[in-house]
Amino acid sequence: MAERLSFSDEVSNLLYAAHGNPLTTCIQCGTCSGTCPVVPYMDHTPRRLIGMITAGLKEEVMASNTYWSCASCYHCNVRCPQGIDIAELMYALKRLSIWRAQHKEGLIGPVFSETFVKTIFKSGRSYEPVLATSYLFTFGVQEFLQEAQTATSLMLKGRLPVLPPRIKRLDNFGRMLRRIIPMGDAK
Amino acid sequence: MTEKIGVYVCHCGTNIAGMVDVEGVAKWAAERLAHRGVVIARDYKFMCSSLGQELIEKDIQELGLTRVVVAACSPHLHEQTFRTACARAGLNPYLCELVSIREQVSWVHTDKAAATAKAKAVLSGGVERVTHHAPLEPLRVPIHPATLVVGGGIAGIQAALEIADSGTRVYLVEREPSIGGHMAQFDKTFPTLDCSACILTPKMVSVGNHPNITLMTYAEVTKVDGFVGNFEVTVTQKPRYVKVDLCTGCGVCEEKCPKKVVDDIFEVGLGKRKVIYRPFAQAVPKYPVLDRENCTYFIKGTCKACEKFCPTDAIDFEQKEEIITLKVGNIILATGFDLFNAHRIPQYGLGRLPNVFTSLEFERLCNAAGPTNGNVVMRDGTTVPKSVGIIHCVGSRDENYHAYCSSICCMQSLKFAHLVRERTGAEVYNFYIDMRAPGKGYEEFYHRLLEEGVHFVRGKVAEVSAFARLPGEEGHLIVQVEDTLIGKQRRIPLDMVVLSAGLEPRHDAKQVAKVFGISCSADGWYIEKHPKLDPVATMTEGIYIAGAVQGPKDIPASVAQGAAAAARVMGRIQQKEIALEPVRASIDETRCSGCRICNALCPFNAILYHADTAVSEVNPALCQGCGTCVAACPAGAISGTGFSDEQVLSQMEGLLLRNLQPVEV
Repeated sequence: MAERLSFSDEVSNLLYAAHGNPLTTCIQCGTCSGTCPVVPYMDHTPRRLIGMITAGLKEEVMASNTYWSCASCYHCNVRCPQGIDIAELMYALKRLSIWRAQHKEGLIGPVFSETFVKTIFKSGRSYEPVLATSYLFTFGVQEFLQEAQTATSLMLKGRLPVLPPRIKRLDNFGRMLRRIIPMGDAK
Repeated sequence: MTEKIGVYVCHCGTNIAGMVDVEGVAKWAAERLAHRGVVIARDYKFMCSSLGQELIEKDIQELGLTRVVVAACSPHLHEQTFRTACARAGLNPYLCELVSIREQVSWVHTDKAAATAKAKAVLSGGVERVTHHAPLEPLRVPIHPATLVVGGGIAGIQAALEIADSGTRVYLVEREPSIGGHMAQFDKTFPTLDCSACILTPKMVSVGNHPNITLMTYAEVTKVDGFVGNFEVTVTQKPRYVKVDLCTGCGVCEEKCPKKVVDDIFEVGLGKRKVIYRPFAQAVPKYPVLDRENCTYFIKGTCKACEKFCPTDAIDFEQKEEIITLKVGNIILATGFDLFNAHRIPQYGLGRLPNVFTSLEFERLCNAAGPTNGNVVMRDGTTVPKSVGIIHCVGSRDENYHAYCSSICCMQSLKFAHLVRERTGAEVYNFYIDMRAPGKGYEEFYHRLLEEGVHFVRGKVAEVSAFARLPGEEGHLIVQVEDTLIGKQRRIPLDMVVLSAGLEPRHDAKQVAKVFGISCSADGWYIEKHPKLDPVATMTEGIYIAGAVQGPKDIPASVAQGAAAAARVMGRIQQKEIALEPVRASIDETRCSGCRICNALCPFNAILYHADTAVSEVNPALCQGCGTCVAACPAGAISGTGFSDEQVLSQMEGLLLRNLQPVEV
């Protein structure tokens, strides 16, 4: 391998399909962070995270909860004066931290995302009863029992499907997913 | 081959030599183009230096060169230099051809071998072309000494006064009823806090009284014909319904007029004016204007209060629009700017939240002659704000609106902050992205504001709302912003918010540019001839620009440009005549079928049709050599001097290196 990619190049490469301007065009005006509705839950504001990426502070960025708190409301994208696709950047950082298994301990986001993707791999569709159970178990039995009650009443009202949906030609679908998600074989 | 061609290849320091093997190109030309007439090929570090030029002159005299090809930068830069050098040595300047191997070769390529090959091809094209050049003589036309200045803001006023003082006639055309422009609306000017009216009105009075200035207010230029030195301008004078030769400007009509309407222009909607009015007390000229749309007489047929009370019978309800034709030699455009419409940014709440003001509204609030007599109060007209936020970069430095920096807003906001502190003692918050204070005394003014205890929050405001969420926010405007220097989102409750809106081109800038035949940038500002070295001229000879029409600028810069444009015009007038480029179209009468296709296409109205002989003819003084007619003529009867088919086709042959003899191996 030639020269090692800098961290900011690595992140920029993940944004190759996004429509925004490069992260280097950020003028650090703070519009995104002023706009963001979930900033109180973030350890770094989105503006600061962009600054940290361009400064190459890889460890700090990977350890941040900022992108796992992102609600994907895209309000920052609408207002950004430099046309940077900030919401897509948050997605990119989520993916990166999962592939590297470098995300912060004790976050709900990574576990949920992983469970969700696995469900999709298995059946081709999201199936709440399986998704919720497998995901909630990671947080303990008590949590699970509480949610189970809610689920049961939802099911009785016909608000949750009883049988898992399946799509036709699941193999093809799986191959497509494997092309876009380099997770190796879905476990 | 009877021509003796000299070829000169420039290194331009490393600009060209860094990417092109300049010596190789010169050697190649001497060897491979010798059979095409090249008798000498040299390379030199800087061809444009006097030593470089002397090299050419010496060769012309000693070797008897009949054609010269210089391979260097774009003709835009040094064509004139090398033509003059040829002329000095006794060669007709139009027998010199400049080919660009810098802008079109070295600066745009990264592969030296390929760039060198391209430079050879471009040079070869020039050699083939120059053989077909003919000696030309420039056209000399006289310059009319009068000047038209469009726009009576500070830039236009300055330009008009400078030229008029030099002793020649100036026509100053202004769209509004009075000159003065935006500066007349301001209270103070940064950074010295001079009273705007105090420094502007003496100049306005000078314009009004100057024997050499013909002031035409409430009028617009609707058509421009002709060319540098000989423009014919059509001005449409809107009816004032006041006979200016009788009116004494006593103001009785304004006093007696029973109807008041909101003044959207001068008072930006904050105040009212009468239907017959002068926009402000020091207006120049002193004559009022009757606003026909709102006049009771024109609506209902009765009233005529102004006419009844006028002591000199100056009111004339029958006045009609007047078309005036002027002959001028040069034109200065100083039509200024519009304020960015901050309604376009909904999250800042202008129009929705009453206590959000624009910068121009705030200027009027501060102005002693304004609707509140200079009291800074909230929209209810009485409450003095206890805290004021000033938002910078509204509509500027933002891809969604204007990407450029409006350059005046930082200083304007600092001035506002000072005025708020001075008049109300309120807490002031400035929300900025970057503080730009690059002028003389500007940074010092910023420091003065820091000392005055104004709060500065670095961050672009995300939104202004009235939705209270936290204690202490009830009944306030809440500015939500990230304070980027501490990395925290803040919600700051304020009584009043001022949007320091940017500047944008006039809403009709594009149409006006079309009338005068000049071009706008993508943003809509008028383009200068050269951004550094020719900032007030345009690509159209005889038309100059001054002030904010060229791009956002403050008062000192506008005044400097007004004076600069005036100096350029006075220089022209002093020359008394001008040499026009002889690159012109001409029509071969024997081949012209009289189809008249070219007549309508000519952007300069330079083509005449002779009905008796059924052929068209080009007026060489009007023709700008654009080539439109040449391309359009179905009979191929029109040719452009300097761009004949022969010249263009032979240049292509040269570019394709078809002129080379096969190399013997």
